[in-house]
Amino acid sequence: MADCLLMAHLVAGYPDLETSVAIAMALAEGGADYLEVQFPFSDPTADGPTIEHACRAALENGFKVDAGFELLRRLATETPTPLFIMTYGSLVFARGAEAFARQAKAVGVRGLIIPDLPPDYDENLFAAGAAAGLAVTPVIAPEITDRRLEYIGALRPEFMYTALRLGITGDQTELDAAAIRYLDKVAAFGAKTVAGFGVRTRKQMEALASHAHAAAVGSHFLEIFKNSGNGYRAALTGAAQRLKGR
Amino acid sequence: MTDSMQYDYFGAYGGRYVGETLRPALDRLAAEFEEAWSDPLFHRELLKIRTTWIGRPTPLLFAENATRALGGARIYVKMEGLAHTGAHKINNAVGQALLAKRMGKRKVIAETGAGQHGLASAAAAAKFGMGCRVYMGEIDMARQRPNVFAMEMMGTEVTAVKSGARTLKDAINAALREWASAFPDTHYIIGSALGPSPFPEIARRFQSVVGDETRAQMREIGGEISALIACVGGGSNAIGFFSPFIGESRPRLIGVEAGGRGTGPGDNAVRMSGHAARVGVAHGYKSRFLMDNDGQLLPSHSISAGLDYPGVGPQLASLGESGRIEFVSAGDGEALAALRFFARHEGVMFALESAHAGAAAMRLAPTMKSSESIVVNMSGRGDKDLFITAKALDRDNWIGFLRREVDNG
Repeated sequence: MADCLLMAHLVAGYPDLETSVAIAMALAEGGADYLEVQFPFSDPTADGPTIEHACRAALENGFKVDAGFELLRRLATETPTPLFIMTYGSLVFARGAEAFARQAKAVGVRGLIIPDLPPDYDENLFAAGAAAGLAVTPVIAPEITDRRLEYIGALRPEFMYTALRLGITGDQTELDAAAIRYLDKVAAFGAKTVAGFGVRTRKQMEALASHAHAAAVGSHFLEIFKNSGNGYRAALTGAAQRLKGR
Repeated sequence: MTDSMQYDYFGAYGGRYVGETLRPALDRLAAEFEEAWSDPLFHRELLKIRTTWIGRPTPLLFAENATRALGGARIYVKMEGLAHTGAHKINNAVGQALLAKRMGKRKVIAETGAGQHGLASAAAAAKFGMGCRVYMGEIDMARQRPNVFAMEMMGTEVTAVKSGARTLKDAINAALREWASAFPDTHYIIGSALGPSPFPEIARRFQSVVGDETRAQMREIGGEISALIACVGGGSNAIGFFSPFIGESRPRLIGVEAGGRGTGPGDNAVRMSGHAARVGVAHGYKSRFLMDNDGQLLPSHSISAGLDYPGVGPQLASLGESGRIEFVSAGDGEALAALRFFARHEGVMFALESAHAGAAAMRLAPTMKSSESIVVNMSGRGDKDLFITAKALDRDNWIGFLRREVDNG
């Protein structure tokens, strides 16, 4: 049975740039196979309250996109773990998809996850990403129509980020038979599926094995960070290890 | 592949910039809306509720005293604020609630800033026997208590939004988020001609009754319109008012943005005529937004809560760019002066939003010939602003009154 890899999420600049580097390194140390670094946006429409609050705090701390890229450049030199940027279309559009993709590539990013720039409203992101050599990763959802899924699958993305239930990040997710069927349907398009939105236990990771390439874990780590005070590094490394079954 | 409908983009603006979680809801809404719109039964229901409940048509007033006082063009006022619940918002809320009912939804959700759209949605939901939840920024809830009270009276649950700036834009985010998980049985009545397609087009069509009536009422009195003036927040009153004239070269269409308390960042809500705004993508659509170089939305300010929003409806942005609509701005002080002027001369209290349009009319009329006519859309009436206008214009008496109320309470 193929193990399910771990895509660990963090918010760039939360609670500040230095600490977010430490968080990323702690997660990588715990065995995260990918790091998903979210650039905060003032008006997110797909984040649960935990991530939204972290983004708000980072913005109040003066987060800038350039600083986000610098953070990634540092991470890329300090860990071989592949890096993804997750953010909203506004930040990409503001500097232009081509420039954003080029800059991401230049600092060592592997892929982009921009949920509100879907294929056909992507402001040329998919083409720009491909030209820059980035894995632009569509974000899909269980309620997607077959027609729409085929349209996105036909783009042959290397990764597909799939929500597991209706709604937003951080809610509890039950991995029922329907979710598994859905994941298998997505996997049939040949992309590496990243299953997200609510994964927080080893049991869920095991249930995902053979059905998803990786699980994205976000709110869970943020909660652990908030609850562990100065010992957050060890706590996060431990949490990642538990999800990895170590 | 898109399942998009006709009016997905307006020039370069509009679109459906949402995650796939919302995509099926919007695709289905677009299809069902077109189907409803082509059904005479739907229009019959709409007409019935408009005449028996909203109170349409709203009057067109010749503001004779105001005209005489200003000298120049004849000023007419489309008395849209006489519509039920006090503003044009009801046109869209009722239309979308009817649509939701037809789609088999049991519940509606809405966002609101000052509370007018929330109130209109609450009223429509009560009338049609649907559940209703309104998202309202925590700060707006605190300063608009009367509307919260009215919504709750109508059976609506008002949910405080505690994220972001805790105002209108954050209420939109919260409603979009909620809709992503609730759409199987819930419709989201967006309050203005903005958001992902098909919302801007839906709002325009339900609001176009304002422009259609105005045109017919002016024809009836044999008047030719030289200019139409409307305030522009998100822009639903303006786009509805202008709608029948967009494809023609006349009359002049003038949109008035909130000049607020100055030209500095965070002091106004000028998206179309200043230099603070840029093209961006937020709240599901592409338009001009008050936004920084990184694409983060910036704070806005207006004395009128309804104009205090960082974006502008995509069709208005496009028509502003093409030159069909001229954009000007009026400041907080000018709006208050216009409120006073029309109250004194016409016995009509404009909502602070609409008073921005009144202010622009006061500037424009004296520059025009007496044979010309301008029509101002009084999109809302001013009762709702009592707590703001009385404090601004008659501070001591008002504060004294509030003190006594508290002491006697």
